[in-house]
Amino acid sequence: MPEVLSVERVSKSYSGITALREVSFSLGTGEIRAICGENGAGKSTFVKILMGITQPDSGSIRIAGSVRDVRRPRQAQELGLGFVAQELSLAPHLSILDNIWLGSAGIPLFHRRPQLRQRAQEALATLGMGDWDLDRPVGRLTIGQRQIVEIARLLARDARVLILDEPTATLSDTEIERILAVLKALKGQGRSVIYVSHRLGEVFELCDTVTVFRNGEHVATQPVGEITRERLIELMLGRPFDEMYPAVQAHPDAGNGIIVEGLTVPGVLQDFSMTAPRGKIVCVAGQIGSGATMVTRALAGLVPDAVGRVTLDGKPLRLGAVPHCVARSVFFLSEDRAAEGLFYMMTVLDNLVATRLGECARLGVLSWPDLRRIGARLAERGGVDRNRLGTPAINLSGGNQQKLLFGRTLERAQPGVLLMNEPTRGIDVGARAEIYRLMRELCELGYALIMTSSDLEEVVGMADVVVTMYRGRTVARYDRSRVAMSAILADITHPAAQAA
Amino acid sequence: MEPGLLVPAGRGGLRVFLRNRLNVLMAVRVTVIIVLVAACLLTPGFLSEPNIMALLTTVSFIGCVAVGMTLITISGNIMSFCLGATAGATAMVFVVALNWGGIGVGLVAALSLAALLNAAQGLVIGWVRANPIIVSIATLALIYGVAQMFAGSSAVYARPGTGYEIFKGKIVGVPIEFVVFLCVAALGHFILSYTRLGRNLYMIGSSFRAAEAAGLKTWRSIAGAYLWAGIFTGLAGILLAIRYNLGNMDFGLGYDYDAVAAVLVGGTAIGGGQGSVLRTVAGAMVIAIVQALLLLLGFRQEWQYLFTGVIVLAVIILHTSGERR
Repeated sequence: MPEVLSVERVSKSYSGITALREVSFSLGTGEIRAICGENGAGKSTFVKILMGITQPDSGSIRIAGSVRDVRRPRQAQELGLGFVAQELSLAPHLSILDNIWLGSAGIPLFHRRPQLRQRAQEALATLGMGDWDLDRPVGRLTIGQRQIVEIARLLARDARVLILDEPTATLSDTEIERILAVLKALKGQGRSVIYVSHRLGEVFELCDTVTVFRNGEHVATQPVGEITRERLIELMLGRPFDEMYPAVQAHPDAGNGIIVEGLTVPGVLQDFSMTAPRGKIVCVAGQIGSGATMVTRALAGLVPDAVGRVTLDGKPLRLGAVPHCVARSVFFLSEDRAAEGLFYMMTVLDNLVATRLGECARLGVLSWPDLRRIGARLAERGGVDRNRLGTPAINLSGGNQQKLLFGRTLERAQPGVLLMNEPTRGIDVGARAEIYRLMRELCELGYALIMTSSDLEEVVGMADVVVTMYRGRTVARYDRSRVAMSAILADITHPAAQAA
Repeated sequence: MEPGLLVPAGRGGLRVFLRNRLNVLMAVRVTVIIVLVAACLLTPGFLSEPNIMALLTTVSFIGCVAVGMTLITISGNIMSFCLGATAGATAMVFVVALNWGGIGVGLVAALSLAALLNAAQGLVIGWVRANPIIVSIATLALIYGVAQMFAGSSAVYARPGTGYEIFKGKIVGVPIEFVVFLCVAALGHFILSYTRLGRNLYMIGSSFRAAEAAGLKTWRSIAGAYLWAGIFTGLAGILLAIRYNLGNMDFGLGYDYDAVAAVLVGGTAIGGGQGSVLRTVAGAMVIAIVQALLLLLGFRQEWQYLFTGVIVLAVIILHTSGERR
């Protein structure tokens, strides 16, 4: 395979902290390369350097054989590199066509619309979506379809190397399948792909080779056929990997827990019922639009028009009022930690004690020594470094941020109920195992856990009970002993057989 | 100080140093302080007693309003355009109530009005999630309308002998306005750092959705912020009335703007969630000093507006550039 991109001994440090150390890397034409590594391993710095978003301190980049000094993103675009960021960067009110050409380098001031339209259409056709209406606003597409628009945008600019950062993190399984198929087709056309992902299943399914980064250094590059899953995780962690999903202990089934009857959110969720006993993990599995995440949101009090009968330990739980739920120790952990979980600019301590200021206040006046004591204890229980209590939450890795949010819910007068959406999204393997362990510990303490997840492996690994959903309705219910990935997948994707 | 504020300038020297935004900010701050101090020392008459006294009074009026504005800004509600009008209305109500029932009635009536007027806005903003700037502009129009109806465009004068004169003058050589301002600043700082209300305001300003999801009663805290902003501004209005022996809607002119300038120059983030009263005090000092300097150097009032505008723009540009990466 001829080389399309090669990087030689690139280093980069931020304010004295090394992010990349002497990394070399080369990519062939038509190759799909996975980049794996824990958070902080240097993956995103590496991508930023390739795209000219930041400049390396030393080292060189060759594109199609000649050394290039990529100083600006637009330059990278002109050299045939295209990047799809983790957060989509489309303008929702503009049409597909406008989005495809938005910010493109090759647009003259008075552009010729018919020609641009045709090229956009061709790009979509390459992806097998030639029948899409180019004038449709992007805001009306599903997230998976938007992802495809992002890729089409790169193709329209004739990108030879596509760099995708966690492209499937927010997608449902069928959408993931489609994206993977699209990428395989692009490989067939001789384009190369750099695929940054935490999802090892996709790495093995899609990629030819995998490169592992750890602590800013290149650890290994191997064909995926010559490496096992366990070995890959070990390379990422830098230590042997013990079991990912902790063993289920015999539950001290405290009885009680949360009982939901007839939970309905107009247009989203119909007549949902379930029981989540204390000491167990209930997984609500479903694709985007299935209403699964609405279950947790409604129980957390975040959905004003939710109706239904919900009891917690025999006493009714009022819907639609978060403060009321928090007072009953019912806590919500959002899949969108940035917008709905953390107070980013505030310290770890502030974040940990956010919901318990009342315990340390007299007539509204706070006792900081008390707060600090509680904060330190919560940090310890949640697995966040106590020495980082004064650090802004934004400086923590995704895993530590999530542990912090778990910490917020611990040490209550009575064991709580946790409502979690995608509890390990964007979190690297090492931290993921710790969070699973924490979840099991909480079960032993008598917490009731309800989670939604689009990662089926996680569902099968963690759930004591699985409830599958499709288009706002419950499809089936499985106990741990009967849980099988194939059945879940069938339930959430082919409703026809079930719905009838 | 924030960690990593000064990155050692090794290879590359100045250029590397200036590449770090925090370094640039620090450099600008130091330069501004040096220039201001130099200008103060070099301007004839700046260090004279009357000028210093006038400066302390000016900074107090701006400062009281600005401390209130800080609470609003930190809570994520950007700013209020009706604090100046609140000060004017409070001054008028104070004088009217003073003439009618004496100093005690005057203080209670004026402060209640200021508190209620703003707390009501806080409720509308917190409960309905109305746009805070629009609500404040509407209230501004409302206050001016009502004042116009009752007083026309004339001032109300305080009757001598009603007892307000005891609040004139100095305490240990410092104008009483400045003492009040220091108390307001101390109280504002206490609220933000040591009360539930204050911590809630930081959280709400930092991320409203996260605050809601965590179960905070956001509307209550937002109303609280506006309530205190009203009280602090009301104090500024009362001080103005006492100093000039009259109440007048014109008192309000420009105070909201100076207060916003003080908040921003101090470095409180306009988006909310960050900042402090101490920063605002520093900002109010800078604004008041610049205005005093301009006055001494013979510039007219218009120039003060112009300079404040330039300063605010410069601060916004300096704080925003590089932040969006």
